[in-house]
Amino acid sequence: MIAIGLEGSANKLGVGVISHPAPGKPAQVLSNIRHTFVTPPGEGFLPKDTAKHHRTWVVRLVKEAMTEAGVSINDIDCICYTKGPGMGAPLQSVAVAARMLSLLWQKELVGVNHCVGHIEMGREITGADNPVVLYVSGGNTQVIAYAEQRYRIFGEALDIAVGNCLDRFARTLEISNDPAPGYNIEQLAKKGRALLDLPYAVKGMDCSFSGILASIDILAAELKANPEQRDSITGEVITPADLCFSLQETVFAMLVEITERAMAHVGSNQVLIVGGVGCNERLQDMMGIMARDRGGSVFGMDERFAIDNGIMIAHAGLEAYKTGFTTPLEESTCTQRFRTDEVFVRWRD
Amino acid sequence: MEAQAIHPCAANSDERVLPSIFRHPSAAAPLLITQGAEALLYRSTYLLPSTPCALKYRPSKPYRHPILDARLTKHRILSEARVLVKCRREGVPVPAVYALDEAAGWLMIEWIEGEVVRIRLNEWLKRRKEEDIAEGVDDGELLELMTRVGSAVGRLHAIGVVHGDLTTSNLMLRPRSREVSNGDSETASKMLDGNVVLIDFGLASQSQADEDRAVDLYVLERAFGSTHPRAESLFVEVLREYGRSFKGANVVLKKLEDVRMRGRKRSMLG
Amino acid sequence: MALLQTVRLEHLPYSHEIHIALYRDITNASFLQQQLLDGNTNFEYALIDAGVVVSKIHALAAAYRAVSDLLENRLRSRNVHSEIVFSLSPNNNIAESFRRFGITTSTTSLLIIKVSTPSSPASASEVQAHLTSSIEGEQVPFEDSVLAEMTDVPRVKKIYKLNSGGGGGGAKRNGQVNGGIEGLSVNGVGMRNGDERKELENLVLGAMALRGVTN
Repeated sequence: MIAIGLEGSANKLGVGVISHPAPGKPAQVLSNIRHTFVTPPGEGFLPKDTAKHHRTWVVRLVKEAMTEAGVSINDIDCICYTKGPGMGAPLQSVAVAARMLSLLWQKELVGVNHCVGHIEMGREITGADNPVVLYVSGGNTQVIAYAEQRYRIFGEALDIAVGNCLDRFARTLEISNDPAPGYNIEQLAKKGRALLDLPYAVKGMDCSFSGILASIDILAAELKANPEQRDSITGEVITPADLCFSLQETVFAMLVEITERAMAHVGSNQVLIVGGVGCNERLQDMMGIMARDRGGSVFGMDERFAIDNGIMIAHAGLEAYKTGFTTPLEESTCTQRFRTDEVFVRWRD
Repeated sequence: MEAQAIHPCAANSDERVLPSIFRHPSAAAPLLITQGAEALLYRSTYLLPSTPCALKYRPSKPYRHPILDARLTKHRILSEARVLVKCRREGVPVPAVYALDEAAGWLMIEWIEGEVVRIRLNEWLKRRKEEDIAEGVDDGELLELMTRVGSAVGRLHAIGVVHGDLTTSNLMLRPRSREVSNGDSETASKMLDGNVVLIDFGLASQSQADEDRAVDLYVLERAFGSTHPRAESLFVEVLREYGRSFKGANVVLKKLEDVRMRGRKRSMLG
Repeated sequence: MALLQTVRLEHLPYSHEIHIALYRDITNASFLQQQLLDGNTNFEYALIDAGVVVSKIHALAAAYRAVSDLLENRLRSRNVHSEIVFSLSPNNNIAESFRRFGITTSTTSLLIIKVSTPSSPASASEVQAHLTSSIEGEQVPFEDSVLAEMTDVPRVKKIYKLNSGGGGGGAKRNGQVNGGIEGLSVNGVGMRNGDERKELENLVLGAMALRGVTN
């Protein structure tokens, strides 16, 4: 069976075509194309502009994805699109494109939960069987484990997502958004040495990032006003790299901690990191150390699958479609709020 | 605390240097009782071989920056000790604090005899099932336990402390003092007897927020519910007693309804 | 049994035994205090006013803390013996701890602790001989029952700030009707004497462990 997936819940527009051969055989990625709406340094992406970007590019991307996959319309079994969660206007623009394709091609629609898309793609690519999932992106921070037909949320961010915290700090420092603000923070952090004192906000398996962002913004403002400031421990001049380093060390320690707590809770020793922030090598390293200490391992993905993409929507949608799930045209809406644990996971035991 | 000892596993096998308290002699070497994500709990002795104690050790986490690691360990040892001392002073039933070393990452507290409510409750329910007693019949014992739990939690909240992880595994039933067991096998009617002692304050904090208090109750309600449906329905007894336990408790009970509605979790923006 | 007790505390090396003696009706407190003030090296003892000691555990806890800090090289006062006195304190004021817990000219009940260390080992017989020749008073067993007669409980509660707080409050105590809690209040309603003393000990231990951390 073959599905095409359309994703546009944030600033990435992705279209992918996937094939599920016989049961038990690995899925085949036939094409996976993405176009990112990049804003100038210091600016975030606004819903209106992002939606416009998606509308402008979606037809071109669908054509490219079909050509690259080498399939015809007849080969496609269903059209999968992101139902949510995400930013309203971009979600809508992609949902409209999906509906149009459905009518044009006479194919069924499958609305997909974005987070479930990440999780299913992660399991497929890494072979992680039943991991605790850390889902970290610009819009989401969740620790998830599967139980009884649901992906249950054990812990989550109580305010802003970790990726949002990193992105917004990149704006504070006016770091380039190309290819991604978080990527550039990561590169800068590699040169950081001094660990500055930031709030550490973990509460059980939940955490919060807005207080940390406020603190690091203050430190950045102080640094701008007085570039000669020295770290009290090392005696070295504090640099923007130190700020990035301190921010990463702090927020990633929080993420690893809540993940470990969930692992202890459910008795698992596998971790799967999904979402854009999951590409960060320092986060992967820290998670790896923790998992090894527990006698387990961490599964990560490269940017093709960790960052928002169409293929994950196609994959998770096709899993649901194979169990008989479809989304009638009149119900093919999208929603900004769509919790991971709302999805009934019929395709797993 | 729970009887079975879990052997040190992967976390300890790389022979990281243990603090000196583990290296100096004692009548019985510290025995690992439970292993959580952040802390290891040992049974040991304090000052004299005749004084048992619980030793809670927070090993350093190599994944985090050493400065951050030391800061967190210190903060958590001290904050747990502070909360316990405060509780004890104000008459809330918790283990007494004996000693600590926040730099080395350990906290030594009173050893609480007895068993956790989860285990006792399961045994009680099992015994009744074997004896074929219908639900709701003759369960005064269980009702009374619920009342004692509600009172203990109420006292905790009344002094401005929330537990943060209030499950039936963190409620001990301590045998009443100087009641020597007469050697008979425990009867079902005695199984739920004992004084309720709240344990494991690793996630506790000082808070008077109704939201935090309501989440404590919600977590406890879920814990009882997962033990037995009947236990969940009797949870109203916990809440009834809780409602009487301090001024403002009824506001918390109102808040609990909100927390139940949303299942603790907030709606998430994408 | 010898009146001088020698104890190996749990979780301390055998090389750091402690010797403990208890005296009552002391008549030469001024002389003894002066030896400390003069820094007379023959009087390297922790000389504690037994009136502020609740129990054996209370005294041993202070010794444990001081020896531990000695081994970790973090003594805050002159030596391990002054550190024992300081370890009894609920705050970081060293001078105040000496005034409150140490021997004064008016001390009549005296608790003496001597730490034997590898660098200055002291045997029980040596210690006993020196005490016998220097202390004017009656040596009594280091036992809870004997200490209980000496303790000035109101003073202890004042020093450790155990009178405030809701422990003895009325409204919160209704749980006790259900037998929910034992040994809770220092001011114990319906608490047996022994329980009350034990609870006082527990509260004191907590205050010592948190020395300088709270308030």
